[in-house]
Amino acid sequence: MGDSTSSFQMAHAPMATDRTAGCSYFRDQGDVFESNGIYFLTSAEAVQFAHRHPEIFASGPAFESLGSPVPLVPLAIDPPDHLRFRKFLDPMFAPRVINAMEDELRAQARELVRAFASRGRCDIVTDLARLYPTQVFLTLFGMPIGDRDMFIGWVETLVEGSTAESGTLPTAEVAAAAMALFGYLGEFIERKRADPGDDMLSKILALRGDEAWTDAQILGLCFLFTLAGLDTVTATIGFVMMHLAEQPELRRRLVADTTLVGPAIEEILRLELPAPYTPRVTSQEVDVGGVTIPAGSMVQLCLGVANRDPRRFERPDEIGTDLGDRGHLSFGGGIHRCLGSHLARRELRLVVEEFHRLIPEYEIEPGAQPRIVWPSGTHHLTSLPLRFEPAQEVG
Amino acid sequence: MKIVIDDTRCTGHARCVVVAPTLFTDDDRGYGCVIGDGSLTDDTMGEARQAVTACPEQAITIVD
Repeated sequence: MGDSTSSFQMAHAPMATDRTAGCSYFRDQGDVFESNGIYFLTSAEAVQFAHRHPEIFASGPAFESLGSPVPLVPLAIDPPDHLRFRKFLDPMFAPRVINAMEDELRAQARELVRAFASRGRCDIVTDLARLYPTQVFLTLFGMPIGDRDMFIGWVETLVEGSTAESGTLPTAEVAAAAMALFGYLGEFIERKRADPGDDMLSKILALRGDEAWTDAQILGLCFLFTLAGLDTVTATIGFVMMHLAEQPELRRRLVADTTLVGPAIEEILRLELPAPYTPRVTSQEVDVGGVTIPAGSMVQLCLGVANRDPRRFERPDEIGTDLGDRGHLSFGGGIHRCLGSHLARRELRLVVEEFHRLIPEYEIEPGAQPRIVWPSGTHHLTSLPLRFEPAQEVG
Repeated sequence: MKIVIDDTRCTGHARCVVVAPTLFTDDDRGYGCVIGDGSLTDDTMGEARQAVTACPEQAITIVD
């Protein structure tokens, strides 16, 4: 354990159909261990230590391998510059801003569910989970909803490309998707510059002097949002609906009392997260959990494993029956805490509420076994076919 | 007994605002803030404990 002779291979983790077994495979290697030159942090304490020391666990260099031509603001920006970006961006994603959008976001979720409610079956991934976060993103930026399917195509290609095994070069398909997305975003930024509105992008473009962002930083922010904000919510909608389909007792509690939807989502998020491995690079030698990590090492913070740390969570692999929020790390922590966490949580809650409003009873199609793509740097279901009584009243 | 947030640890998850709305409100950045001086009563002790547990940064504590 903890040395390079370890037999640990990420690809060998039994993750595809069972995250409990997959996370145990990681945890059994130790709180901190090295494999193929990468240091994995798996305990809640070790991950939290890294979150609290961004000056040691740098984010910027960890994303260099993506080869983005623009800086991925603010994720790949380290202190001290990072604070300036977050102080400006945080208020635009604060809960009170999301509250003001709720009616519009709910109407969109309702519309998507209504489209298949009378059919008696659907695939959550293709009929709902891919569509909704993309629409919300377009709404947030003031882009035409009609561009949704084009966007989905680019993002899926890019996310698949960026999370492939490191060392593989981007394919022509990935490069073409990146070019197309950059072209689209760049054109949109120019339009906003010429004709500003009351939206986030216009506010950034209006900054002057020391506060002004460079063109590359603005494009980098838009690019990061598409990479980080769409596929993650897509994946989590799939996981939430999978757990609710598999646990009728839990689901019926949520249908009977919608105030339990939010808490249940937190527990599902603790167990099933879309981005369970966050990369960092050490800027200096550091001791964590009894292991000395040399300067310049690639580190993976294993958030999903830390979320099941038995020293912090009782019965860590189960959804807590009282549905109390147990303080999970699925949105990361420290200065890079997911900027979109409040928006993502709202999207998840609205999807569940609107789904249950028309379809309170449902199950996974007999014979179908939901599985995630594995090995991969992100977790997401490929398909989640459900069947249910066709909804009569879809008004 | 009082509830306090360690500002050096808080990074704006705002879970305290959700699980303990009697004790916390959020600022313009979405960061949780203690309402008033944070004094706890028997009625608010339950919410306070939930906030301590729900904070992913372990930034919230109950002090004498």
